[in-house]
Formats: sequence, structure tokens, C-alpha cells
Amino acid sequence: MSKASFVVRRLLQLGVTFWAVGTVLFFLFRLMPGDPTAFVVSAQMTPEARQQVIESYGLNEPLYVQYMRFLENALTLNFGQSFHTNQPVREVIWTYLPNTLVLMLSAFVVAYILGIVLGVLTGWYRGSRFEKTTVVTALTARSLPTFYVGLIVLWLFGATLGVIPMSGMGAAGQTYDSFWARIFTLDFLHHLAAPAAVLAFYYMGYPLLIMRSSMMEVLSQDFIDVCRAKGLSERAIMFKHAARNALLPIITAAAIALGYAVGGSVLIETVFGWPGLGREMVNAVLRRDFPVAQGTFMVLAATIIILNFVADLLYGYLDPRVTYE
Amino acid sequence: MSVLDVSDLEVYYETETAPAQAVDGVSFTIEEGENLGIVGESGCGKTTLAKAIIGILPDEGYVNNGSIEFEGEDLTEMSDAERRRHKWEEISMIAQSAMNALDPVYTIREQIVEAIETHRPGTGRTEANEIVAEMFDLVGLDPERADDYPHQFSGGMRQRAMIAMALALEPSLVLADEPTTALDVIMQDQILKRIGEIQSDINSSMMVITHDVSVVAETCDRVIVMYAGKIAEEGPVEEIFGNPYHPYTIGLKRAFPNIRESDQDLLSIAGYPPELTDPPSGCRFAERCPMATTECRTTEPEPHHQGDLRTYCHYADEIDDGFRSRADDPETWRDTEAARSARTAAEVND
Repeated sequence: MSKASFVVRRLLQLGVTFWAVGTVLFFLFRLMPGDPTAFVVSAQMTPEARQQVIESYGLNEPLYVQYMRFLENALTLNFGQSFHTNQPVREVIWTYLPNTLVLMLSAFVVAYILGIVLGVLTGWYRGSRFEKTTVVTALTARSLPTFYVGLIVLWLFGATLGVIPMSGMGAAGQTYDSFWARIFTLDFLHHLAAPAAVLAFYYMGYPLLIMRSSMMEVLSQDFIDVCRAKGLSERAIMFKHAARNALLPIITAAAIALGYAVGGSVLIETVFGWPGLGREMVNAVLRRDFPVAQGTFMVLAATIIILNFVADLLYGYLDPRVTYE
Repeated sequence: MSVLDVSDLEVYYETETAPAQAVDGVSFTIEEGENLGIVGESGCGKTTLAKAIIGILPDEGYVNNGSIEFEGEDLTEMSDAERRRHKWEEISMIAQSAMNALDPVYTIREQIVEAIETHRPGTGRTEANEIVAEMFDLVGLDPERADDYPHQFSGGMRQRAMIAMALALEPSLVLADEPTTALDVIMQDQILKRIGEIQSDINSSMMVITHDVSVVAETCDRVIVMYAGKIAEEGPVEEIFGNPYHPYTIGLKRAFPNIRESDQDLLSIAGYPPELTDPPSGCRFAERCPMATTECRTTEPEPHHQGDLRTYCHYADEIDDGFRSRADDPETWRDTEAARSARTAAEVND
């Protein structure tokens, strides 16, 4: 099969996956106990006014009509309006998603660069004291919950030493022309540093340990002996041959982990008061705000689905042995 | 001058207890254009010997004593950088497994060019590509396929690619570790012939490591029979296989089927090679040798020279007084300590 038809087929699969996720989400929220209108409809309203509000949201129609309308709107990326604020869901996502992405991506990039390099080195210097210390640190980092480390960091650097802000994305009262103008300020970086560092420390262990065991496996193979016999420099063998081969399992792992990272932002966003999508999603569920909950969940699912697709493509590019069948 | 002069070489591996003496007091030379075979069962130190010569011992392996002189220079005394310059340019290797000896993520061309560029930095791309095409031609591969990845080649093609890479810099010495084990006999024959032809073209010497006696018979001028890290016997191919003096060589020879005497009983040498962390003090083969005496178990044998043959056996000078005929008889080999205990174990299991 050619690469092009592989991409087309995977894209079709992608469409089916999105439909399935959307359907599950739609029914899942409607199966939850609790009346969604309770938050919007005030108790002082007359029954007529109340009915009017319900109708304006389309909640009086049969479920299948609601479902069809949901699918129709989803095709145009329209997830309706928030029951809570009346804002279009797209706008809600647009407000919070970039904040989450900036936090997650900066933590992720740092974690994976550090993790991969340390993984290469620990795999190469197997049995050294450096390897043992690094592996123990990585395991510790993996085992400590982020909210716990986050609280300690806040207590130590925020409350005690006062070098980091306690909460939020910027100093109070500051306004900026655009998102980009905001994130390139020192104030923003100052707020970003602590939550990103805590996350990076947590994420780092995974690529480090995978890379290390992958390196050890590659290093035991015959072609490494041939590389050494060829008189290549130690650095060329370590990076150009060993690490290049050992990197393959990291790619899929990284893509999937990044998807979950965007979804798993809830805890860290709560601890550091970071106005991100994770926090908003939890609030939406608590408020029975169907449209926002559906929309945010869809975004998370889409991140995971699309990143998996990217991993597949990347794998084919990095490993010539992969065929598109 | 010899291309390679190994003298009194000891290669040890660190283990948790005592060091394993994988190669112990081995001395031999390889002359220009000569092919030397190394035979012996698995774990007798053949591969370790080759790795020590080319300089790719694993971290826990080290040269404990002795010297490896290559064209008059001692490789063991060299700095890492100096040593690296000698690799591939002077001494290259054809690795054991055709399947895994090439890096899967680079094309064959990239891997051969890498070797050329590492050792001859001035070489241009065109010139390097010419060498690749020429080598592909020599080993009987289509030069158009140089941009394929290893997985796109069959086992035989990969081994040819490996040979092309090993000979690309026209080294003086090629170490071939089981060069044809992964191939069928027809392919094996073709490849051995091709290696021989190229070799006489560029006048390189070769050390062939194998447990397949037929490969040695086909390619080598001289043979070393190794046992448990030591040389048991060394000499010209015809003498080693025609008229051996060491009981181990005799046993090994009789353990392979002979096409001319197909009804001949095959012999098996019972038992296992000794633990190399604690080798026996006398002859290392004594434990499995049906002719062993107290002297064999306590005193290390001195080399016995007979023509071009060098034999490490106390009884090499009594070979014609019935010693060889006894060693040549499968019945004799059924009567060792190891053979008896193997039979007892088999009966218990029944």
C-alpha cells in the first residue's frame, strides 16, 4: 500500500473514531443524574418562562432529535452555548485551551529533551554511579503525585522564600492585546516556571526509563559491535547509531503521553490556579453544563486521536522497516 | 614480516567471583596473504580472541597480558585514538550474524560511506560512491540497490553487503566470525569463493572463526584448534585434518560426518568445557579425554613440534604407539568419566 492511501484510510478511521467518541459523550452526560436546567432556570420563574428557557436550549425535544442536531453542529465544530454563561462553547475552549497548551507543551518539551538525553546516557553508562542515581531519581519523580510536589514547591518557593507567585498566569490587573503578547512577558514566564517545572519533573521519568532500556537493548546488538570495529567515535556510536535506533519506541509513547498530558492537566491547574481547560472541564461537569463538558472532552479526545495518527506517520518516517499495510 | 603476531595473549572477563580466563596464553602469527582458521566448540574463546584483536572487547573484558602486534606495532599499547585509526582501515571484520550486523535505520550506502569518511576524511561523495559501486560489483550485488535498507535484502545479500563493507578500505587483515553460519550451503560456497577472490585481489590476510570444519577446509591455509581458551593444536589444514596429534582434534574430526566413509560411527565428546573462572591446573582437556593420566591432570603440557604441527599434549610423541588408533575409536570415547555419568543420568531419567 502506498503512503498516500495509508494516510487516506487512517483519516477515514479518524472520522469514525470522532463520531464514536462524540456519541458516547453525548449520551454519557444525558445519563448523569441531575437536571441541567437547575442552574439556568431560577426558582422564581413562572412555569411558562421556565418552559421557554428549556425550549430555547432544545432540551424539550426527543433525545434522537437532540442527538442528530448535536452531530450536525459538531461537523461545523459548533458545540452550542454554555448553559452557564451563554457563551458559545467554541469561545470557552478558545479562552482556556491555549493556556493549557502553553503549560503542557513547555513542560513536555523540557521533560522529553532531558529525559531522552539522560536515558541515552544512563543506557550507555550502565552500572555507573551516575546511572544508579539518575534511575532512582526518575522512579521517585514518577511515583510522586504532581499535586503533592506542586504543594511542596508552592510552600517552599512561594510561601517561604517568596520567589514564585502563588497562583495564576500573571500579575493581577494586567491586560494584554493578544495571547502572544502575554506569553512573551517576563511576568508570564515567572508564573509559568513553577508549574511547568513540577510537570516536567514528573513527565521526565517516563521517556528516561524507556530510552534507557531501549538503549540497553540496542547496545547488545551486533551492529553496534560493527560500528565500534569501524572505528567510529564513541559519540557517533552513542547518538548516530544507538540512540537513533533506541528512539523508535519513544515516538509512540511520547505522542500518547502528550495526549494524556493535555487531559491530565486538572490537578496541576488546580494547585497552581492556572486558568486552563482541565479546570474548566471539571467545573463544567459539576455545573451540568452539557455543551461545555462535551466540547472540552471532545477537544481532549481529539488531541489523543490526532497525536496517535501523527505518531503512526512519524514512525514510518523514522523506521524504514515500517510498511503501510 | 607477519601481518599479525599474537604472543602469550591473555584476555579475561571480570565476573562477580574470579575473572574468567577466556583466552589464556595464546600465541600465533598470520603471514601476509595467509588465511588462518580458528575452530573449537562454543565458548572456547574464539570470538573473544577476535574481539581483542580488533579492539572491541566489552567493558568487562580486558587484555591481562601479552601482546598483539600488527605489522610490528603493539595494538595493546596504543591510545584509543590511534587504535581507532587502525580499525577497519587495517583490520576489519565480517560479523557473525548476517541479520543484525547492519544498522537497520541507515541504507547500505550510508553505512559504507560512513566507514570511508571516518578514515579518509578528504574523500568526496562521488569518490566514496564509486567505491560503494565497485564493492557491490565485487561481491555480486547490483550497485543500484546500494540505497536499500538492510531489511530489503535477503540474508545472503546482507552478508554480501557486510563483506562489501568489510573490504571497502582494502584492509590488510579481515576477521571473519562465522561468516556463513546464517546461509545455506550453496550460498555459503558462493560467498566463500567470492571472499577468496577479492582477498587475493587486494592481498589481505584473513582469520576465519568457525565451528564448521568444512568452512575451514575450503578457505584456510592453517588452522588453530582452541579448547577452553587455549590452543590445543595448530598446523596446516591438511595435517590437522589428515594427521592430527591431539586427542581433541581427533575427536572433533570424528564428530563430523565424512562423506567418503558415510557408514562410519560418529563420535561424541561427552561433557562440557571447564569453568573458565577456575580452570583445571593441568591439561584443560583432561577431564573429557579418555586417555588422560595423572600427569595430564596436574601438569600443563608443553608444545610438541612435529613438522609444522604444534600440539599441546603430553602424549604427542607416543602418537604412533597405538595412541592415535585408540583416540580414533568411538568406543574409547564412551569410556570417559563424563560419558559414564551422562549415561547414568540418562538411565535415571528413564
